[in-house]
Amino acid sequence: MKFLRHFTAVVLVVAVIVGLGMLWAHTSGGGTGHAEHAPPREVILRVQQIKAGVIRVQSGDGFSLANTSDLIRTCLIEAVLVALVITVSAAWRRRRRIRRTAVRGSG
Amino acid sequence: MDAGPSTSLADRPVAVSRRRILARTRLDFWLDGLLLVAYTLAYSLGFTGIAVHEWLGIGLGVVLLVHLTLHWDWVIRTTQKLLRRNGRERFIWLVNLLLLVSMTLCIASGILISEVALPALGIALPASSFWRQVHGTTATLTLILVPIHAALRWRWIAGVARRFVAWRPKRSR
Repeated sequence: MKFLRHFTAVVLVVAVIVGLGMLWAHTSGGGTGHAEHAPPREVILRVQQIKAGVIRVQSGDGFSLANTSDLIRTCLIEAVLVALVITVSAAWRRRRRIRRTAVRGSG
Repeated sequence: MDAGPSTSLADRPVAVSRRRILARTRLDFWLDGLLLVAYTLAYSLGFTGIAVHEWLGIGLGVVLLVHLTLHWDWVIRTTQKLLRRNGRERFIWLVNLLLLVSMTLCIASGILISEVALPALGIALPASSFWRQVHGTTATLTLILVPIHAALRWRWIAGVARRFVAWRPKRSR
């Protein structure tokens, strides 16, 4: 019951963010368009071609080992950021501990 | 995005059984790990290909909702005590809020510009350069915020990982 209540709250928050995003798109004139805006011809054509099988949609087994460098680059960016935050956090904790010890020592 | 781990000693009611805490800690640990791996894979579009990228993104959205729900207590508690909290807690709250907005917009815009997943479900949306730009920007922002979000809780992650390594199942003789 608690989970459901929290889940509803989360869905509401997410809906508000998406709604604000839609509003942003609408005010900047870049939304996806609704009833009054028909989709561009090339999009309709593309969807029709996908449905007809003219354009082959890539299936789920799309992992490309030749492009592992892409994955490695993402991992590297994340690792560097994690290392940076941990280093700063550890230095900050050490400084706070030293300051506390100094205050206790003088008191 | 979320929240910090909800199983820290200060944040949990004392009455909760030890066994339940361990089960919840395990769930948090593996779910957070799954989110990190899924996002890393989803960001590496060249490696996954568009189809896996899109389905992974949709799955990520569902798991993200569960992750947020599990940590909703923390969100409420920290938001209520925001002014009384120290600078670090406030910084974590701000990072989490930014991550929530960025990841939500990233997934929503990804769905709106979907080239494989939505057409496969028979849904056609017009192409939009606005959502394509939003997707690119929020994906990069999320890539920066996800490691920061994880690293800010590195002591909890290291503590749980250490407990997993030290844990040995009892053998019956």
